[in-house]
Amino acid sequence: MNLSLSLLSDQFLLNFSYLWLIVIATTIGIIIGAMPGFGSANTIIMLLPFTLAVDVEVAMIFMVSLFVASHMGGGITSILLNIPGNGGSAATCLDGYPMARKGLGQQALVLSFVASTVGGMVTALMSIFLLPYIARLAFYMHSVEMVVILLFGITLIASVASDNMLKGLIAGFLGLLIGAIGADHIYSTPRGTFGFIELYDGVPLIAVLIGVFAISEALIMMESTSVLSDTGRQMMQQSSWKETWEGVVMSFQRTWHMIWTGIIGLIIGIVPGAGASIAAFVAYQQSRLYSKTPEKYGTGIPEGVIAPESANNGCASGDLIPLLVIGVPGGTTAAVMLIVMTYHGVQLGPRLFIQNPGIGYGVFITMLVAYAVMLFTTLPLTRWVSKLVLIPTPVLAPIIIAFTLVGAFAPRGYMFDLWLTLLFGAIGYICRKTGFNVVALLIGVILGPMLEANVMRALRISGNDPWVFFSSPVGNILWAALAFSLAIPSIVQWRRNRAARMVAA
Amino acid sequence: MSIMLNRRHVLLAGAGAVFAPFASAVQAAGYPDKPLQVLIPTGEGGGVDQAARAFNRIWSKYLGANFEYSYFPGASGQVGYEVFVSKREADGYNILFGNIGPEMIMYATQKVKYKYPQDFVYLGSMDVDDSVIWVGSGSKFKTIQDMVEEGKKREITLSTSRLPHPSTIGALALAEATGMKVRMIPYGGGGPARSAAITGEVDGCATFLSSSLGLGDQARFLTVFNETNRAPELTNNAPPVNQALGTKIPQMSGQRAIAIHAKTVEAYPDRVKKLSETFKQVFADPDYKAVAEKAGTPWEFIQYGDAASCQESAKEFVELADRYRPLLSATK
Repeated sequence: MNLSLSLLSDQFLLNFSYLWLIVIATTIGIIIGAMPGFGSANTIIMLLPFTLAVDVEVAMIFMVSLFVASHMGGGITSILLNIPGNGGSAATCLDGYPMARKGLGQQALVLSFVASTVGGMVTALMSIFLLPYIARLAFYMHSVEMVVILLFGITLIASVASDNMLKGLIAGFLGLLIGAIGADHIYSTPRGTFGFIELYDGVPLIAVLIGVFAISEALIMMESTSVLSDTGRQMMQQSSWKETWEGVVMSFQRTWHMIWTGIIGLIIGIVPGAGASIAAFVAYQQSRLYSKTPEKYGTGIPEGVIAPESANNGCASGDLIPLLVIGVPGGTTAAVMLIVMTYHGVQLGPRLFIQNPGIGYGVFITMLVAYAVMLFTTLPLTRWVSKLVLIPTPVLAPIIIAFTLVGAFAPRGYMFDLWLTLLFGAIGYICRKTGFNVVALLIGVILGPMLEANVMRALRISGNDPWVFFSSPVGNILWAALAFSLAIPSIVQWRRNRAARMVAA
Repeated sequence: MSIMLNRRHVLLAGAGAVFAPFASAVQAAGYPDKPLQVLIPTGEGGGVDQAARAFNRIWSKYLGANFEYSYFPGASGQVGYEVFVSKREADGYNILFGNIGPEMIMYATQKVKYKYPQDFVYLGSMDVDDSVIWVGSGSKFKTIQDMVEEGKKREITLSTSRLPHPSTIGALALAEATGMKVRMIPYGGGGPARSAAITGEVDGCATFLSSSLGLGDQARFLTVFNETNRAPELTNNAPPVNQALGTKIPQMSGQRAIAIHAKTVEAYPDRVKKLSETFKQVFADPDYKAVAEKAGTPWEFIQYGDAASCQESAKEFVELADRYRPLLSATK
C-alpha cells in the first residue's frame, strides 16, 4: 500500500480546496441524519446525477462527507426529543434524552458532536496507518463471531430493564419475536407476515423506531405542557455559551472513553452486513459494564451519550474498509458508492491502493476534514438547537407526529407503513404506561434478525452441528469475554456486599 | 410448478407490434410524457441496479423520457414482483428491471401470489451473464477437479447471494453429475457472499461472473457454466464445466431483462411497441458500450434478447427449478 507523506498532504490540500463542498455535504448529511426515515444511502442515490457527472475525487469527497455527517446528525433528535434519526442513534436516547429533560440538552448535544468527531477522527486515522491490519480483521469475523458480538448487544436488554427485570425481558422477547417476522434467511419462507407482502422483508425498522419512540413520545408529551422538568426549564432558559463550553470540557474529561468506544465501532463496522446500530448498542453495553457507576446509566450521564455516538461514527470508518480493501460493500451506502466508483473506472480491492492510492486514502482524509468542519459548524448551533425543547408540547407533539409520519412513508412509499407506525406508536405508548421498557423491545427488533441470520448461517455451514459456535479461537475468546461480562456485575455486587458486611462488623 | 404457456401468452409480449396500427391515435400521442417508474426487486447498488442505470442512460435518448427508481428487495426478489404486479398501474409507465434466471427460479420455488405470464411478461433482455464457481486467492483448490475430488471426501460449502439462483442449480447439478457433496450457503446479497469466500468462511462462491470481475487477484475462477468461457482473460482462463469434467450440465446464465404488466400489452400495444423498439435501438448505440463497461458488464456479455427468447428462458428456468425444488426450498 503506497502510503507516503506527500500523498497524504496532497489529499489534505485537495480536500481543503473543496471545503465549500464539504460544508454543503455535511450540512445535508446532518439534516437527513436527524430525520427518521431519511438516510445517506437514499440521499446519495437521489444525487447520483451529480456524483456521476463530476470527477471521482469530487464525488468521493461529497459522498463521504454526507455519509459521516448523517452518522453525526442522528443523535440530535435522540437527545432532544427521544426520537432516533436512525438505528445507529437509538442507543443515544438512553442517556441523551434524560440529560435533555434535566436541562442539560445543550451539553448532551456537545457531547454527542465531540464524541462523534473524536470517534470518527481516531478511527479514520487508524484506518490510514493500520489499514492492512484492520482489513485482516474481516478474515476473523465470521458468522460465529458475529453471533457472540450480537449477544453482547442483546445482553443490554437485561441492563436497561434492570428496574423491572420481568417486564424488561418480556419486552425484549417481544422485540425478538417482532424481529423474526418476514422471510427466513435461508429458504425465504415467510413467517408471521399475516399474508402482507409489506412484511416479507421483515418489519421495517423505521416504522418501529418512529412508532415506538416518536409517536409514543409525542403522545406522552401531550400529557404535560413541557418536555422539561421545572428546574430543567429554568436552566434551559438561562443557557448561554457557557453550557457549550461545559459540554466540551465534559467530553475531553472522557477522551479515552471516546477513543475505545470508537474503536469498537470500527471493528464492528468492518464486518459486512453489521451496522451502526449493533456498534452503538454493544459500545453502550461495554461502557456500562466497565463503569464504576453502572447504576447511573439510563439516568442521563455523559458516558451514555459518548459511547453510542463515538461507536456509530467509528463504524462509519469501518463500513468503508471492505469496500476499499476487498471491493465488497459493507452496507447500502457503500454499495451506492461502489456504483459511482465503478462508473468512474476506479478499480476497487487491493489494486486500488496501488493504482489509485489517492482515492483509497483520500476517503479517510475526507473523513478527517469533514469531522473538523462539522465541529465548527455544529458546536455553535447547540445553543440554539437545544432550545427546541422549550417549545410547548401542544405545539411540538403534532409537529413531531406529522414530520415523522412523512419519514415513515418515505423509504418505501407504502401506506401500510403509516398504519404500522401508528400501531407501533400505540404499542410504545402502552409499554411506557405499563412499565415495559421500549428500548429493550427495540434492541430485540434491531438485533434479533441479525442474530438469527448469523446463527442459521453458521449452523448451515457446519451441517447443523451446534459445536460450530465453539469452533473458532476468536469466537471462543469472545465467548469467554461475554461470560466474563455477564459475571462482572454479580462479582462486583458480591464484593460490595462483603465490604459492607466487613464495615458493619 | 409449470408454466401454462398457451398461444395467447407466448404471443402476448410481442403483440404490441401487431396491434399497434389499430391503437387509437389518442393513446399513441405523447407517450411517454412523464418519467418511467423503474422497480428493482433487489437492493440499491446491486448488479441489476448498476446495469439498469447504465442501460437507461442510453435508452432515455430514444424513449424521450427519464427514469425514476424504487427498490423492493426481499424474499429473493419476491417482494419486488408482488409489489409490481399488485400495486403498480399497468399503463406502460411502470416497468420492472430484473434478472430472469434467479427470479423465475424464485417464482417456481416460493409461494407467490402472482402468475407468470398472466400477470407480467418480459419484454426484452440486455445481457447474458454466466454462472461461475470461484475461490479466494488463499484457497488450496487450483482447479475445479481439485474441488470435486475434495467434495467426494467432505461437503464443500459455497456461498451464494440467494438459494433460488442459476449458480446454485449449477453447483447442485455439478454435485449430482460428479458425486461430490455441496452445501449452498445463502448470504442474502452478493456482497456478503463474495466477502465470505474471500475471507475463507466458505470454500468458494457460486455466482454470476460479472459481479465478481472487480475482485481482481482475490478470486480464482474454477469453472464457468457455459459451453465456452466468453471472458477468458478476466477469469484466469477457467474452463467450461462440461469441458473440464465431461459432464452435460446445461448453460446456467442470468439475463437482466425488463418486464411489464401483461395487461399493458393488451391495453396499450402502441406503448409496448415504442418500449420494444427503443429498447432494441440501445444495443446499436456506440455510447452504450462505454456506459455498460463502466457499470462493470463486459461487452462480450451484452446481448439483446426479444420477448420470445425471454419467455423461452423463463420456461427453462422454471423446469430446472422444479427438478431441484427439494434442495432450493424448505418444501421437501
